[in-house]
Amino acid sequence: MDTKRDGPLGSVMVVGGGIAGIQAALDLANTGYYVYMVEKSPAIGGVMSQLDKTFPTNDCAMCIISPKLVELGRHLNIKLLTLSEVEGIEGRVGRFTVRVKQRARYVDMEKCIACGLCAEKCPRKVDNEYNQGMSQRKAIYVKYPQAVPLKYSIDEANCIYIEKGKCRACEKLCPAGAVDFSQKDKTHEIEVGAVILSPGFQTCDARPLVELYGQNPNVVTSLEFERLLSATGPTQGHLVRPSDHKEPKKIAWLQCVGSRDSHRQGAHSYCSGVCCMYAIKEAMVAKEHCQDPLDTAVFYMDMRTYGKDFEKYYNRAREEQGVRFIRSRVYNVDAVPGSDDVLIQYASDAGDQSDGHPEIVVHQEQFDMVVLSVGVETSPETIELAKRLGVKLTEHNFAETDPFTPVSTSRPGIYVCGLFQGPKDIPFSVMEASAAACAAEIDLAPARGTQVKSRSVPPEQDLSEQEPRIGVFVCNCGINIASVVDVKAVMAYAATLPNVVYSQEYLFTCSQDTQEKVKQTILEHRLNRVVVAACSPRTHEPLFQETMKDCGLNKYLFEMANIRDQDSWVHQKEPGPATEKAKDLIRMSVARAALLKPLTEKPLEINQRALVVGGGIAGMNAALGLSRQGFEAVIVEKEPQLGGMARNISQTIEGLDVLAYVDKLVQEVKDAGIEVLSGSHLAGLSGYKGNFISTIDTGNGAREITHGVVVVATGAREYKPKEFGYGESDRVMTQLDLDKLIRQHSGKVSKWQRVIMIQCVGSRNKDNPNCSKICCQGAVKHALRLKKINPEMDVIVLFRDMRMYGVLEDYYTQARKEGVLFVRYDEKDQPEVSFNGPGIGVAFNDLVLGRRVSLGADAIVLGAATLAEENEQLATLLKVPRNAEGFFIEAHAKLRPVDFSSEGIYLCGTAHGPKLISETIAQSMAAAARAASFLSNKDMTVGGVVAQVEPGLCAACLVCVRNCPYGVPRIDPEKGVSEINEALCQGCGTCVSECPAKAIRLGHYQDDQIMIKVDALLEGVV
Amino acid sequence: MPCTGRVAIIHLMKALEKGADGVFVAGCLEGDCHYQAGNLRAKKRVAYVQEVLKSIGMDPERVAMYNLSAGQGPRFAEICREMTERVRQLGPNPIRKNGERKEKAA
Amino acid sequence: MIMAKPKPIQEIVNVIKDFDKVLVAGCNGCVAVCEAGGLKEVEILASALRMYFANQNQNIEIGEVSLTRQCDKEYLAEIKDMVPKYGAVLSIACGAGVQFMAEMYSEKPIFPGVNTNFIGVTLEKGVWSERCAACGECILASTGGICPIARCSKRMLNGPCGGSSNGKCEVSKETDCGWHLIYERLKTLGQLQRFEVPNDPKDWTTSRDGGPRKIIKEVSQA
Repeated sequence: MDTKRDGPLGSVMVVGGGIAGIQAALDLANTGYYVYMVEKSPAIGGVMSQLDKTFPTNDCAMCIISPKLVELGRHLNIKLLTLSEVEGIEGRVGRFTVRVKQRARYVDMEKCIACGLCAEKCPRKVDNEYNQGMSQRKAIYVKYPQAVPLKYSIDEANCIYIEKGKCRACEKLCPAGAVDFSQKDKTHEIEVGAVILSPGFQTCDARPLVELYGQNPNVVTSLEFERLLSATGPTQGHLVRPSDHKEPKKIAWLQCVGSRDSHRQGAHSYCSGVCCMYAIKEAMVAKEHCQDPLDTAVFYMDMRTYGKDFEKYYNRAREEQGVRFIRSRVYNVDAVPGSDDVLIQYASDAGDQSDGHPEIVVHQEQFDMVVLSVGVETSPETIELAKRLGVKLTEHNFAETDPFTPVSTSRPGIYVCGLFQGPKDIPFSVMEASAAACAAEIDLAPARGTQVKSRSVPPEQDLSEQEPRIGVFVCNCGINIASVVDVKAVMAYAATLPNVVYSQEYLFTCSQDTQEKVKQTILEHRLNRVVVAACSPRTHEPLFQETMKDCGLNKYLFEMANIRDQDSWVHQKEPGPATEKAKDLIRMSVARAALLKPLTEKPLEINQRALVVGGGIAGMNAALGLSRQGFEAVIVEKEPQLGGMARNISQTIEGLDVLAYVDKLVQEVKDAGIEVLSGSHLAGLSGYKGNFISTIDTGNGAREITHGVVVVATGAREYKPKEFGYGESDRVMTQLDLDKLIRQHSGKVSKWQRVIMIQCVGSRNKDNPNCSKICCQGAVKHALRLKKINPEMDVIVLFRDMRMYGVLEDYYTQARKEGVLFVRYDEKDQPEVSFNGPGIGVAFNDLVLGRRVSLGADAIVLGAATLAEENEQLATLLKVPRNAEGFFIEAHAKLRPVDFSSEGIYLCGTAHGPKLISETIAQSMAAAARAASFLSNKDMTVGGVVAQVEPGLCAACLVCVRNCPYGVPRIDPEKGVSEINEALCQGCGTCVSECPAKAIRLGHYQDDQIMIKVDALLEGVV
Repeated sequence: MPCTGRVAIIHLMKALEKGADGVFVAGCLEGDCHYQAGNLRAKKRVAYVQEVLKSIGMDPERVAMYNLSAGQGPRFAEICREMTERVRQLGPNPIRKNGERKEKAA
Repeated sequence: MIMAKPKPIQEIVNVIKDFDKVLVAGCNGCVAVCEAGGLKEVEILASALRMYFANQNQNIEIGEVSLTRQCDKEYLAEIKDMVPKYGAVLSIACGAGVQFMAEMYSEKPIFPGVNTNFIGVTLEKGVWSERCAACGECILASTGGICPIARCSKRMLNGPCGGSSNGKCEVSKETDCGWHLIYERLKTLGQLQRFEVPNDPKDWTTSRDGGPRKIIKEVSQA
């Protein structure tokens, strides 16, 4: 076979440049595939770039996405096609030809320096869609200040010249001669092996749903509200209400606008999955924005805070921040005559009222502003795109996928991730993106590395003879820094410091074009040390260090002064002292920079094998994801057989056979030649990323396995309830027990007259504040099964909030239609189970009827919590963190959901937190993709920030040997002094600070390099 | 600092010697050290410096060890306020006071 | 190895307070290993002294240096240009180092910064324990490898005194009875019969009783 003609291609097209598309593109490009990123707007970033902060950590969205934007923008193996749309596709998996239409930008990207002069002079103002129309932009514009690429573009629908043939002001004024009206739309024919669709979503149109929206400017959508909170928004982050620009005192959030609504035109029956959390976030962040206390109220049906640590966030908002949560049905949103305020009329359950009248109670309340928590939907353009690509859609217009192949569309070789797959939040979009990358990588594995280019970094300059020449780059961070700190004064001050030969300010120092300018400046001024005064090195240091490398400078000759997080953000109300503090911080950084030394790093081979701990659905999928890409995988499973928790689950809520699926996976694992060590556990681990040595206790002796990465897929377990008489009677059971009963004794079950299910057993309480996420769907799934077995059976579900997120809502609706009774109870008023001879009953307060109800039942089914597996030993061996409830903590809750902060170790499945099988599969594939991206490098660099022994000073006293938490130092028997292996050293510096002879030095953190900052800070004090 | 395990006794001493009114070390939560136990080493070193300060007649409260996670921004602010308030109570570092006097004299 | 412990700062202050310039001199030998006198301790002590004197409004300059060993002239000579610039030297080497420093720089007042305690071992990180009293006539061969001179509070030579109780010494409940340890060890070795042969009275002339001692190894002499 001629592989050149018939084999797969080593390139992938990613359609849509939001966070999902970005993640997929980066994973692919970092694993050895060439990526074409097709984005219809002039810049990537998607909706995430428009968000102010992100739940549940309240990280600034722009701050965490920006490094990814820049990494993508400057990636050698990603071709970014903006203003582009896919017109058609031909071919099959492995070889597609995609026709992409790219609209004219009318600006030469090579020439544009993004100075903004063109936009300043452009006479045509139009609504700025990035700010949801709440501000204006010009016809020539950049989407947002940190846009990638940061190049202007002309919006031809609004350009006066294109429309009327006159103007060309921008062209005349452009100092770079970048405006080019001769540009024409282009069509590219691009050959790729696979396609990933990540076109994202749009928010529902609120107009037909809330009449006042569009009439009263103080009624805004949640996305508009995000812009009002954002520093780059229409009010520069000053929260004022649109009608009179006064700070609001009272804001209401109305949930489920356009979601969970089967009746109204323009609304959707599904749950949008994210609105509860973003409303909580917006309410908390809004409170932080206001000088005076702000009253916030969220009007909701069910609070769906089902994700990892979400319930704690909700609790914090309610209990600590005083956000009011009002369970209600809003039936009218009305103007208040003579004011810009808004009147909300709503009905609530009687049970929520102290008077206890057995009827629905109506209320009304007036607010300064109302935020509509609008749902998500697939845009008409995306629906058209799907048609052109031959990708089937669901009734809700999401890409049709199978729960067992959650990122595969109906067309082989075309994958999907993010909101086009279904409603979800950012971490799950990111997981799916990596999963889609994994799927494409599997298809194209033989072609990995065939189409990528490699970067040539100029040789490193020898600085040994040079005096320090320091450049200081001061960032305005838009207004993040500049609105508080006098950046110009700081810049001028920096220029006066010793060894500083250059200082300058930039609007966004991290932006791609500024990085280009920084490069030019480094070369032009022969800088050999760089200080960036901006945000946190945690997020931005690697970016600037890349720029250093591009200039032939060692990346350790770089120093950051955090004048944003540690200065402008915390001293917003004291601009004078904040400016002085910025000067102090820069003086310290400059002083340190002068003492920095280049550190060398060298390559070390990576062992290409993966060890997967846990052989359930997650572990098997991760192992298969790697094996199918050509990486050897070994599964360690503690039970005698593979399958894990899934062996206790008959079917998914969609009706798919889970046991058959598990059997199929087990067979695939066997067929793939993946070694399985069952009845085994990890007993010891040494080595380091890329070169681990594990000791596996096989129950039959120890096995040693060398491997480059570890995937943790140890799963979770069902809580064995102590509540509701569980264990006292076999009529009280958990959902898993019920599953088994239906499987084995359906005849017995079919005779039941009444089943009562109780939710949140062992979840959302003091002992376990988490929501277990999957129990609501478990109850609905089984309620529907019971109704199928015997339609006459009474099935009653006692719940606190029905958390049927996303399209699961359909099953909730179906269950109600089929007569399943859902009755809410309050946490403080738990149902009571009573035993009366062989009979059992449940008494509970019906909050709608406002009275106590007692019912007998044939079975009581408890929605028991999903708890972390006993994993302390594993956590200790791998040195990875767990949260208070024992679930492993990923590197970043939003953007690194399957990584651990220690490189080379990955996480998937319910070991990360409770989740559905489909979500587990996606996360496992994501873990495989992330691991593959590490393994595909073949070697990694070691050295850098590591401890080094000065043999002449070493007294061989053993203090380092005894103090190292990793047991790295040893006394070299030949030389008689301590030796520290640079590949093993983690760089913590503990030994350095203990060494009695001061014979150990930590690269980049030498005593003089640390103390000089103290000296500089305290200069002139004594 | 990569880890509070790198914080040496001399770093804390020098900061005070150079005129800082107070120094605190902010490490990971106990049991959550990214490098396993660096924060526990730092805790001991802080206690040692406190002893040295006592022996030279300085207030040991001028140095402190705090533990918090990267996610606890508000806690960090609280610690900063707490430490500032404590140092304010203690007054300026006596070294600094003398320094100022000398400056005035000069 | 020789074990030492830092002197209280107040004691050090009392002896150096009348000098304008004092050099703190560490040793990278035994005292570094027992974390009492290496460069790390030099820095800490120097910093503490500077702060102390600054707080007393006393302007004393404190210099810092650490030598490979203070018990060798060649290493001591490395600071020959430095010492004259100081009014006094505070040596945090063992007593031998301090004295040798004083011999070498006889015109300078040399003060000790540590108390030299014993010849001992590192039991664990940060814990050191005495093992040898340098008596000059080793009898470990007859005592199961446990020295009754160093490990018995009373330097008994033939079994414990009446104060041994449950294996502990009457001097301190924290201290093991040296002879109890010897007994247990000999029992393990199957050599309890050694108790039947008493040790001869010890000739203390090889120890301090014979005056200061000197060792000459002719083959090694110049």
